[in-house]
This record gives sequence, structure tokens and C-alpha cells, in this order.
Amino acid sequence: MSDDGLPNDAEGIKLMIHALIDGELDAAAALALERRIAADPRLAAEHARIVALRAAVTRLPRPDVSDAFRARIAALGVTATAQPTQEEPVRDELVEPRRDIPSARPDQISQLRGTARQEAQTRPSQTRALPRARRFGSFDWRAMAASIMISAVLASGATQWVMFNSASDGFAAAVASGHRRSLLAASPIDIVSSDRHTVKPWLDARIGVSPPAPDLAQDGYALIGGRVEVIADRPVPALVYRHREHLITLVAEPQQGGSTTAPEDLSSGGFSMVHWSDGAFSYWAISDMERPELDDFVARFRKAAV
Amino acid sequence: MAERFNEVVLPHLGDALALARWLTGNAADAEDVVQDACIKAHAGISGYAGGNSRAWLLTIVRNTSYTWMSRNRPLSIMAVGDLGDLDDMAAAHGTSLPDENGPEASLIAKADTAALEAAIAALPQPFRETLVLRDINGLSYREISAMLGVAMGTVMSRLARARNLLMSELGSAP
Repeated sequence: MSDDGLPNDAEGIKLMIHALIDGELDAAAALALERRIAADPRLAAEHARIVALRAAVTRLPRPDVSDAFRARIAALGVTATAQPTQEEPVRDELVEPRRDIPSARPDQISQLRGTARQEAQTRPSQTRALPRARRFGSFDWRAMAASIMISAVLASGATQWVMFNSASDGFAAAVASGHRRSLLAASPIDIVSSDRHTVKPWLDARIGVSPPAPDLAQDGYALIGGRVEVIADRPVPALVYRHREHLITLVAEPQQGGSTTAPEDLSSGGFSMVHWSDGAFSYWAISDMERPELDDFVARFRKAAV
Repeated sequence: MAERFNEVVLPHLGDALALARWLTGNAADAEDVVQDACIKAHAGISGYAGGNSRAWLLTIVRNTSYTWMSRNRPLSIMAVGDLGDLDDMAAAHGTSLPDENGPEASLIAKADTAALEAAIAALPQPFRETLVLRDINGLSYREISAMLGVAMGTVMSRLARARNLLMSELGSAP
């Protein structure tokens, strides 16, 4: 046993080794894992195997992009292509060969529809205004995520963490799992911005919905970005707020004609979680903060989001 | 708009061809698929809202590959089987495989190109695409998760499973 915050089961630690080699761990987790690897010859052998395999795969010859092919594609950019015959294959595209992978690309759906051009006219500046810098920003995300992670995360394996026993709470478990995963990743957010006017259009462009995203910095809860979670096979928007050294993930599931429900406590397993609905969205706020603090956040968010 | 297309699409043609080659199984089909995909990318360029342009293009390439496959090779698609079963299978076996003593890293490092390519081609499709998106196209777990519409944990377990299959295949070669 060890108290370095890493999983103690063989499966979990192996997934972590893959994540380490793929550069998906923050500095603290990587360091802790490297110590484990140094101390255990079997883990070291597994690490060496995966590194060797990755190197071999990376060395595989890649298809040549012939000049002729490149020229053919570049020519597409010059000739206007809006032939009506394209409508057909484009629609086809949305029919997946397998039904059990629902499309997680509504952004693409909207872009492939005929309305794409129209949209470009109605929101001319948006596409350029969005920041490109996403991952690996230079600010101290990793350290922050790591400090949280060390204290609270990874007691039981990297992927199979079930926070709730009841099956009906699958969504809550997925939200919790996503939050937990985000603390593990190199960056907990896909779009880094304290400006809700950046976060909202980003989410909108990705998945076609964006929840209210008030900046509560004056109340001590700074909006620091957003990401897309995939829960129950559907993409849902998530906002990330920071309160001192704590992160709060706020998942907002769009509701259709849903009812309004008061905040309900779903805390468990070392995390505080509160769920409520405002008719348009069903919200799940999760953090490793104490309940009263999370309640305070929820109250302020609800007030500001009206 | 043409300029934007050139900026967003042209730098990633190599990645696009590599993905299509591994999804369709051969390089000649890959060019057809990528060309189709680029036509769609061009039509939809105004919907590209920043972010990773490679991931954006590859998403279109992936969809186009499957559409193309279902049109040209319906049997190979059917043969993939049920995805849920595969993930159950992966979970049941864990990520470990025969395990304990996997092949020596040096044996894997020495594997020749043809053997490795054959092993990748033999992977079940969900494992193969995850491996290719990560190790050949260099996408992050999160980008793959969003592209495939599966949870991050599923990406991790598919990737580990794919690599384990390759390692034991290469390790068992004479």
C-alpha cells in the first residue's frame, strides 16, 4: 500500500502508465508514478514495453502526401463547391454505421448543414476571436490540479470509480467521474478563459448549447473555463470555476420542458455534490470543497444566472 | 475563405491520409476518402470555430471513412460486431492479457515494420482507431473521447487493450 494517491490495483496502475507515456498526467502524478515504477521491476518492464511499442508505431512509414494530391485538395479551396449534389453525402455522413455511438459532434452537424454559410454571416467575428491556446497553458494548472488530486483522488483505480450505489444515479456518477478525470488530466479545461463571452460561444460552437455562465469572481468564484463532458453518450457542457485552490465543475444538462427543483445534496465519497434544475438546465455542481461552501456557490450562481 | 481552408486543412493532409489508411485498410482508398472529407470540410469550414484544426479535420475523415466503408465494403463493417461486447470483453480481461511476463521491450523494439502493420490491421476496429488517433495522429485522450463520443475511461481502456494486443502479438513472433 502506498499513500501517494495512485491506484493500488494492477489495472489502474497500468492505465496510469499508459497515461504517463502519453503525457496525460500532471507533474505531481507523473512524479509519484515514476517513483512507483522505479521501485517495481514489473511496472518498469511494462513501462519499457509500452515505450518500445509507441516508438515502433511512431516509426511506421506514413503515407506520402503527393504533390498532385496536395494540389488537388488545394484546388478545392479555390473553386467554390456549393454544388447541390453534395447535400446527399453530407446527410449520409450523419448516419453512423453503428447506432450505439451517438454522434458527439453536433458542431459538425451544424457546420455541414446548408445553414453553415448563413451562420458565418451572422457571427462574423466569432471564428477568429476564439483563442487557440487551450492545453498546456503556462499557468499553474498542473500544480493546482495536482494538489487537489493528491488529497482526494484515485483511491480505487483510474477509471472505475463508482461514487453512488444506486443505478439511477448513473448520471451523477458520470459527472463525478468526469470531474475526477479532469483533475487527472494535463488541463481540467478545454477552453481557458475567464470571459464568459468566450466560453459561451465556444460551447455553442462545439455542441450547440451553452448554459448561463456568470462570472462570480467578485463573490470569490472565478470562471476559469469550460469543457465538454460526454455523459451517457451525449456531449454536455461543463463550466469550471475556481474558489481559492478548489475547482468546481458545473455540468449543465439541457432540459426539455423540465421542472424546477431545489438544490439537493448528493455528496459522497469525499466530494460535495449538489443538483438542481431551473427548467432550462439540470445542474450538477461538484467539488472537493466543504458542503457549506459549495452551497454558497450554488446560491450565488442561481442568483446570478436568473 | 479559401485562405482559411488552406490554413486549416492543408497542414493535416498527412494525418488525414494516415487515419484513412488505417480505417479503410489501404493507401489508395485513403486518398479517395480524404478527398471526399476535404470537400465536406470545405463546405463546412465556416463551422470550424478554432481549437485543434487537426482534430476537427480528422473527425470529418473518420466519419467519411465509415460512410465510404459502408458503401463500398458493407461486409467488413458488419464483421466488426457489437461494440458493447468488445468493451465488456476488454473489461473482463482487464488490460493485462497473458501478463505477468510480457514480452521483453527489446523484442518489441526489434519488430519489423510489416509485422507491426499486420498486427495493427488485425486489431478490432474500435481498438485500432483509438490506437491510430493517439499514436499516429497524436490526439489527446480528451480529443479522442469527444471524437468517438465515448467516455475518457473507455478511451484509456481501449488504448491499453490495443497496445497489449500488439505487444503480445509482436512478442510471440519467432
